[in-house]
Amino acid sequence: MGGLLSYFRGLFGSREMRILILGLDGAGKTTILYRLQVGEVVTTIPTIGFNVEQVQYKNLKFQVWDLGGQTSIRPYWRCYYSNTDAIIYVVDSADKERIGISKDELFHMLREEELQDAVLVVLANKQDMAGCMSVAEVHQALGLEALKNRTFQIFKTSATKGEGLDQAMDWLANALQNKK
Amino acid sequence: MTDSKYFTTTKKGEIFELKSELNNDKKEKKKEAVKKVIASMTVGKDVSALFPDVVNCMQTDNLELKKLVYLYLMNYAKSQPDMAIMAVNTFVKDCEDPNPLIRALAVRTMGCIRVDKITEYLCEPLRKCLKDEDPYVRKTAAVCVAKLYDISSSLVEDQGFLDQLKDLLSDSNPMVVANAVAALSEINESSPTGQPLVEFNTNTINKLLTALNECTEWGQVFILDSLANYSPKDEREAQSICERITPRLAHANAAVVLSAVKVLMKLMEILSGDSDFCATLSKKLAPPLVTLLSSEPEVQYVALRNINLIVQKRPDILKHEMKVFFVKYNDPIYVKLEKLDIMIRLASQANIAQVLSELKEYATEVDVDFVRKAVRAIGRCAIKVEPSAERCVSTLLDLIQTKVNYVVQEAIVVIKDIFRKYPNKYESIISTLCENLDTLDEPEARASMVWIIGEYAERIDNADELLDSFLEGFADENAQVQLQLLTAVVKLFLKRPAHTQALVQHVLSLATQDSDNPDLRDRGFIYWRLLSTDPAAAKEVVLADKPLISEETDLLEPTLLDELICHISSLASVYHKPPTAFVEGRSAGIRKSLPARQGSAEESGTAQPEATVIPNQESLIGDLLSMDIGSSIPTPAVSAQPTSNIDLLGGGLDSLLGGGSGTDLSAGSVPTTTGLLGDIFGITTTSTMYTPPKACWLPAEKGKGLEIWGAFSRRNGQISMDLTFTNKAMQAMTGFAIQFNKNSFGLAPSAPLNIGALQPSQSLETGLTLNTNGPVQRMEPLTTLQVAVKNNVDIFYYACQIPIQILFIEDGQLDKRVFLTTWKDIPAANEVQYTLNEVKGTADTLANKMTHNNIFTIAKRNVEGQDMLYQSLKLTNNIWVLLELKLQPGVTHATLSLKSRSVEVAAPIFQAYDTILKLV
Repeated sequence: MGGLLSYFRGLFGSREMRILILGLDGAGKTTILYRLQVGEVVTTIPTIGFNVEQVQYKNLKFQVWDLGGQTSIRPYWRCYYSNTDAIIYVVDSADKERIGISKDELFHMLREEELQDAVLVVLANKQDMAGCMSVAEVHQALGLEALKNRTFQIFKTSATKGEGLDQAMDWLANALQNKK
Repeated sequence: MTDSKYFTTTKKGEIFELKSELNNDKKEKKKEAVKKVIASMTVGKDVSALFPDVVNCMQTDNLELKKLVYLYLMNYAKSQPDMAIMAVNTFVKDCEDPNPLIRALAVRTMGCIRVDKITEYLCEPLRKCLKDEDPYVRKTAAVCVAKLYDISSSLVEDQGFLDQLKDLLSDSNPMVVANAVAALSEINESSPTGQPLVEFNTNTINKLLTALNECTEWGQVFILDSLANYSPKDEREAQSICERITPRLAHANAAVVLSAVKVLMKLMEILSGDSDFCATLSKKLAPPLVTLLSSEPEVQYVALRNINLIVQKRPDILKHEMKVFFVKYNDPIYVKLEKLDIMIRLASQANIAQVLSELKEYATEVDVDFVRKAVRAIGRCAIKVEPSAERCVSTLLDLIQTKVNYVVQEAIVVIKDIFRKYPNKYESIISTLCENLDTLDEPEARASMVWIIGEYAERIDNADELLDSFLEGFADENAQVQLQLLTAVVKLFLKRPAHTQALVQHVLSLATQDSDNPDLRDRGFIYWRLLSTDPAAAKEVVLADKPLISEETDLLEPTLLDELICHISSLASVYHKPPTAFVEGRSAGIRKSLPARQGSAEESGTAQPEATVIPNQESLIGDLLSMDIGSSIPTPAVSAQPTSNIDLLGGGLDSLLGGGSGTDLSAGSVPTTTGLLGDIFGITTTSTMYTPPKACWLPAEKGKGLEIWGAFSRRNGQISMDLTFTNKAMQAMTGFAIQFNKNSFGLAPSAPLNIGALQPSQSLETGLTLNTNGPVQRMEPLTTLQVAVKNNVDIFYYACQIPIQILFIEDGQLDKRVFLTTWKDIPAANEVQYTLNEVKGTADTLANKMTHNNIFTIAKRNVEGQDMLYQSLKLTNNIWVLLELKLQPGVTHATLSLKSRSVEVAAPIFQAYDTILKLV
C-alpha cells in the first residue's frame, strides 16, 4: 500500500523534498544555496538565523533550508530536523584547525532520531583554495568510514567556481528517488 | 500508578495541532495556522511554545503572512530571547526587499523587539534604511533610532545614528523631517545628563519651519514641540519664527493650535513686551483659544486648563473675551468649575458688572460644588476688584437672604476674607450674618463667623452672649473652631474687659485643662500668661494690625508657572504639575524654563508680587490660626514684671509655662508665612570662603617625577584651582597643559595652564581659573573630576573631588515666600535628612559662617527651645537646594533636612556642611 502511494507521488513529482544545508560558520552554505537557486555567486554576510529557498533541480522540487553555522545558532539546528529528507553538510576544506569541531557537530547531528532516514551529502567545499585538504583527507578527518546504515556520499566542490555541485545534486536526486 | 498520571496528558492539545499546521507545506494552511496563533495570542493564551515554528514561516513572499509573523515576534521575542536570533537573517533580508512596505515593516519590527542579544545585528540594516530611497522607510527608520536609544543609548551614539538622524532634518520629505524631529526630541528628553544631545541651530530651525507647512497635522505637532525647545539667539530670529508659526493657529486640529500657542508664548518672553509686534501677536492668540472652547467638552477642558496657565502668565491676551468663559447650562461640571476659575482671573473693573450678574445666577444653580465655587468667586471678585467690593457684598447679602444652607455658609467664609481686605467698611452687615448663626454647621463657616464676632466684638452688643453660646458645645467643635473661639473670646475680653472676665476664664480653662489638643493648649497657655503678665502687651499682640490680603489667590508659583508654560499641550499643563512629579524615571535635571529676555536680567529671576497672605483653602487653617499676630510685632516681653490689675492668674502657672518663649502660635511645624518671624540676614558681601588645604593629587612616583598638589577655591564669585607643581626629576619639564574630563558640573579651565618650564627640584604655584561652561556628564560620585596633565614627559591622569561649596553661587538667597512655596512644592520623596555631629556655636554664628560660604539663611525661628534655620543655596547649574537646620542648645549634633528637585546633590552638600561647621 505504502509502495503504491509513493509510486504515484514519484509519478507526479509534486512533494517538495526538505533539505537542510548545515556546517560550521564560513563553510559556504549560503553561497551554495544561492548557487543552486539562481546559479550565480552572490555576496553573502554571515547568516544570523536562516535562509529558506525553493530550488528546482531537473524535475525535482526542493525546499532548501540554509541554517547559520555560528556557535550560538548551532543549538537551534535541531528545531529543523523533523521531516528532513536530506542533509547537505558543508565543510571548509581549507580550515584544518576546525575540521575536528566540524566532525563532532556532524556526528552529534547524525545521532538525532529524526534524522535516521535522511540522506547525507558531504561537500568538501573551497577546493579552489591553495593548500586545502583533498576529498580523501576530508573523508578521513571527518571519520566518515565509521558511518553505518546511512546513504551518503562525499563530493569535492567549489561553490564560487560552481564545480562539483552538479554531480552532488545528481547523486542526491537519484538517492532521494531511489529511497522512495 | 502514582498521582503523577494526572499531570501527564495524553491529549496532544491545541498547541500540537497548531504546530503541525504551521509545518504544513501548503501556504494557505500555514497562513490559517498563523492566524489561529495570533488569535490565541490576542486573547491571552500563551503560544510562545510555537516560536520556532512561527519564525520558520517568516521567509515568505506573502505580505499578509509576513505581517502576522512580525506581530507574533513583537509579542514573544522577549520571552524567547535566545531563539529570537533565528529571526535576524530574515530581518536583514527584508530590509533589502524591493518592496518599501516590507523594508519599513522590517525596520519597525526590529525596533519593537527589545532583546539585547540581537540589538547589535540590527544596526547595519537600520543604517541602510536611514538612507533608503523611499521616504516611508526613512521615516520609519528615524523612529526606530529613538526606540534603539531607549534600549541602548551607547550603541546609538557609537554607531553615529544621531548624526544620521540629524541629516534627516534636511530631508526633502516633510514627513521624514517630522519623524526625525520627534525621534530627536525623545532622545534629548531621555538623555541621562539632562543636556540635549543634539542641539538645533538656526539652519535646522529653518528647515523645520519649511517642513512645517507641508507635513501632516501630527507631524506639525512634533515640529512645533521641538521648536518650543529652541531658544532663538536674538529678537529678530524670534520674531521671524513667530511670523512663520502664526498661520498654524488657524489649524483645525486642537493639538496643532495648542503647540503653536506654546511656541508663541515662549518666544514672547524673548520679544520686548512693549513692541507693536508683541501686541499684534497677543491679539492673534485670542481667537484660536476661543475657538477651542466650541469643541467637545473633553477638548474644552484641556483647553481651559491650558488657558488657565496662559491667563496667569499673560492676562492681556484674553481680557476682552470674558463672555466665552460664561458657563453654559449643559456644560459638564468639570468644564463649569474650570471656566469659573478663569472668570475670576479675568475679572476686572471693566467687566465686573457682567461677571457679578453671571455669578449670582450660578449661585442659584442646583449643583452644590458649583454653587459653592460661585459664591467663593464673588468673594474673590470683591477682593480683586476694589471698586466692585460694595456690589459684591450686596450680592452676597442677597444670597444669604435665600437661606440656602450651603450658600450662607460659603458666603460667610468669603465675607470674612472681605473683612480682612477692607477693614472697618462693611460692618453694617454683621447683624445680618448673626441672624444665620444657628444654621452654620460646617467648621470652616463656624470658624469664620467666630472670627468675625471676635474681630468686631466692640460693635456687636451681644458678642459675649453669642460666643458664650458657642462655648456650650466647645468640646464637640472642630479644632479649627476651638482655636478660633479661644482667640475670639480673648479679643472680646481685651476690647470689653468689663463683663467678660468669667467668659475668658471659662474658655482658658476649657482650652488648657479639658483639651487634648496640644495646639489649643499651648495657645491657651500663651494667652493666659500674656493676659496675666502684661495686658497691654497682650493687646498689642492679639489686636495687632493684620497683614493685608491680596487677590493673588491660588496663583501658581512663578517658577512653576514658567515651567508649565513650556509644557502647554501636554499632561503637565492639564495637571498643573511638572512632569517630574508624575512621570517616573525622569531625571530631575531637565526642568524646562522660559528663556530670559536679553538685557533685562533684573526682571527675570524670581520677581515676586509684593503680595501678602494667601487665603486659599489649604492655607486657611494656618491663616486663621496665625492671623492674630502680625509679622511686624515685636517679641512680647515675657519676662516683664506682673503689672496686671486683674487677677486672672492662679498661682503655679509659671511652673507650667516653663521654657516656652511664645513667639510661635502657629500649628504644626510647617512654617507659615507669618510664622517665620526670625530676623533675616541680608546678603553680606563676602569676599572669600573657606578653602580646604591643598592635597597631593599626583604623587611624584606616578607622575614620573612631577608632583602636583592642589585645592579648589572660590573668590569673589570666581572658581579657581590652586595648583603647586614640583619637579622631582633630574631634568627640566616643559610644555605643560591641562584638560578636564566631562564632569557633573561642566567645570572647565577658562585659560590655559600658566606654567612655563619647571627646573629640577623647582616648585611653582599657579591658579587656574575655571568656568562651568564645559561639557556635562554625570560622574559617580557626583563631585569627581578627572584631570589630565601633559608635559614633555608624558600625560598623567588623576581624579580629585570637587568640594561642592565652591559651586554655591552668590545669588542663592531665596525670597521667604518663594522658599515656602518651593518647600511645599517639592515632593516629600525629595527630602533627605542627615545628622551633623560636633556642631559648636550658636545659630547666629553658624548662620554667619554659612553666609560666607554662600549658604543663605532665609529665616530663623525658635520652636520649643530648638533653633530652626531655613537656608537656601544655588549651584552653578541652577539647582536650588532648600535646607532646614535644627539646632538644640547644649547638644552637639544637629539635624539637617534637605529638599531639592535634584536630590542627588544631597551627599556632597552634607559633606560641605560638615566641613563648614567644623571651621573655627
